[in-house]
Amino acid sequence: MSARQLGRSAAGFWWYLLPGAVAFIAIVAVPFGANIYLSLTKWSGVGSPRFIGADNYTRLLQDDVFWGSFRNSLAMVVAMVIVPTVIGLLLASTLFDVIGRRFGNKTASFLRATFYLPQVLPVVVAGILWGWLLRPDGAFNALLNAIGLGGLSHDWLGDPRTALPMVMLVMIWVQIGYPVVIFMAALQRVDPDLYEAAEIDGAGWFRRFQAITLPQIRPETFVVALTCTIAALKVFGPIWALTRGGPNNATTVPSYFAYNAFFNKLQVGYGAAVATALTLLIVIVSLAFLRIQSRTESAEER
Amino acid sequence: MRSARGFVAVGAALTALALVLAGCGSGDDKGADAGGGALKLWHYEGADSAMGVAWDKAIEVFKAEHPGVQVQFERKAFEQIQQNASMILASDQAPDVMEYNKGNATAGLLSSKGLLADLTEEAESRGWDKALSPSLQTTAKYDDKGVMGSGKWFGIPNYGEYVMVYYNKALFKQHGVAVPKTLAELTQAMDTFVAKKVTPLGMAGAEYPAGQLYYQLALSKADRKFVDDYQLYKSPVDFTKDPVKYGADTFKEWVSKGYISKQSASLKAEDMGTAFMAGKTPMIFSGSWWYGRFAAEIKKFEWGTFLFPETKLHLGSSGNLWVVPESSKNKKLAYDFIDITMRPEIQNILGEKGGVPVRADLSKVTDAKNKELIANFDTITKADGLAFYPDWPVPGYYDVLVAGGQSLINGSKTTDQVLTDFAKAYTDGVQEIENG
Repeated sequence: MSARQLGRSAAGFWWYLLPGAVAFIAIVAVPFGANIYLSLTKWSGVGSPRFIGADNYTRLLQDDVFWGSFRNSLAMVVAMVIVPTVIGLLLASTLFDVIGRRFGNKTASFLRATFYLPQVLPVVVAGILWGWLLRPDGAFNALLNAIGLGGLSHDWLGDPRTALPMVMLVMIWVQIGYPVVIFMAALQRVDPDLYEAAEIDGAGWFRRFQAITLPQIRPETFVVALTCTIAALKVFGPIWALTRGGPNNATTVPSYFAYNAFFNKLQVGYGAAVATALTLLIVIVSLAFLRIQSRTESAEER
Repeated sequence: MRSARGFVAVGAALTALALVLAGCGSGDDKGADAGGGALKLWHYEGADSAMGVAWDKAIEVFKAEHPGVQVQFERKAFEQIQQNASMILASDQAPDVMEYNKGNATAGLLSSKGLLADLTEEAESRGWDKALSPSLQTTAKYDDKGVMGSGKWFGIPNYGEYVMVYYNKALFKQHGVAVPKTLAELTQAMDTFVAKKVTPLGMAGAEYPAGQLYYQLALSKADRKFVDDYQLYKSPVDFTKDPVKYGADTFKEWVSKGYISKQSASLKAEDMGTAFMAGKTPMIFSGSWWYGRFAAEIKKFEWGTFLFPETKLHLGSSGNLWVVPESSKNKKLAYDFIDITMRPEIQNILGEKGGVPVRADLSKVTDAKNKELIANFDTITKADGLAFYPDWPVPGYYDVLVAGGQSLINGSKTTDQVLTDFAKAYTDGVQEIENG
């Protein structure tokens, strides 16, 4: 096939990209463009927006609540990415390498499904459920009273010192099943001979985990870390269901901050500026992840 | 955890785009008053609520009086109207008559943008202006900037609401507490409950109740001028002084004395109401919107209400408004419908079902409790005692009040810090409104 023929046939494939491109333009590019435009205006949502340049961004940089919301985002990254990924790795490895071998695959699958269950629950349902557990007269305090630790009972979501840690705890509970399932699937494709050989050479569980499991499932680890980081940065549902950003903004995250500006304060321009900043941050983080991933893969291929 | 999450950035952008597009098609009024064959009507009252039942009857009467007209009624969700009204009203999909929230940030905002029909002429010719007391008219009229209290009529309220103390008669009797008539008696009653290890006043810091109690405490030391200054921006409000300082200080004092639980910062209004219904709380301070539900669901004990003692000003206002979108093509039919809801037969249904009608004939209301509810409202309106709600002055102030109330309950901020937060949000918001 000549280069000319190849070019002609490649040109034919472009048509297949058209539906996706149209959808991308209509659903992502145009609204995002409109959002950027609105972020440069002052608008209450009714009537005509008034162009004010970068004023919303200047205001944003001086807004303590906005910066606080990003600090809370970092807490969400810890709760939704770092802790679940680490625990997920250990759990998946234990289920696959220890439980699966000793008690059979069915037991391992059952436990995997158990860990995954919170992922199946709609997030608002999970939020309401945990809200009940953590109420001042809820099950958590009742349990503390029952075991003689009534002095520790607390309004967990009503105190700025404990509200964020409690939301983090809920998010860890919700999130753990996702890496467990992904990592267990990843472990299925690891050659069992590697584990057997290592075992024959006298490697213990931790050595096998370190030398075989971790390197073998690195691509999946990247995927989990990337998708969970994006989820953590844009988290909204659990905050809405559990605390509405309170008490006193202790659990406000950027997406809730934007929602509040849009719908409660009728500051559409300002809300759009928050949304734009958040989107840019997510794009930057995603690109950074993808770059690191491709570098690591290239290094491994070499 | 990936699929169900609301991604506000995209959602907001889509909403914004829709708003921009919707804005392009607004305001075709050529067909107004053409008297087409249909009346498109939306409201968001529950089918079994007093208002829902009364409006159903009004639709029935309207149909009988307009045999050729088809009524296209749709029951909407409150949030659906609250968050999308501007889009809906700017499009050609707007109804002819719609229930809408009262206040500067809602009806006022839409009226200032020309999305609502001016009802002044109809209010005068149909006598609605005489049927509604001055404090009820406050929420019906808006000036050019959308500030309530003066200007043109943009909505017609035909029911009212106010905030009172609900009390559990059984718990009062059990602990030997009499119904308080003065503030001193109220605090004495609460001391009695505290001494018996019962938290006397139900509270919910995560929603409106804390802000409402703070405002009521402030109102007990305030006059009409304060309400006008605070709600209508007649003069600046000093947040370092009484009455607001008294309100915040006293709220904090009530927490420290155990009248209000320190563990109520995360509770929602529903938690407070259900605790009262379960007989766990001797008193709650909340609105007439609970009345029908309490009457229907509390079977295990007797309960009663009393107005907050030693105050001329009470939280309360007209109920929501009937508004007519400027783009309505059947305005005359819309006015006819509103007029029907003001008639005694419809108003009496409201009274009989536990609502608070604005033109009640008390002799027609048979239930003694409902009679008391309406009589108390009459007392307040006749004394020009409706002081509206603390979150009304500026958009987004509700969240500021909730945050402040939570801080007072959990002790994370001093009253001065809380009042500084209240003052900043209020001053910034008023400035925004006044600058248009």
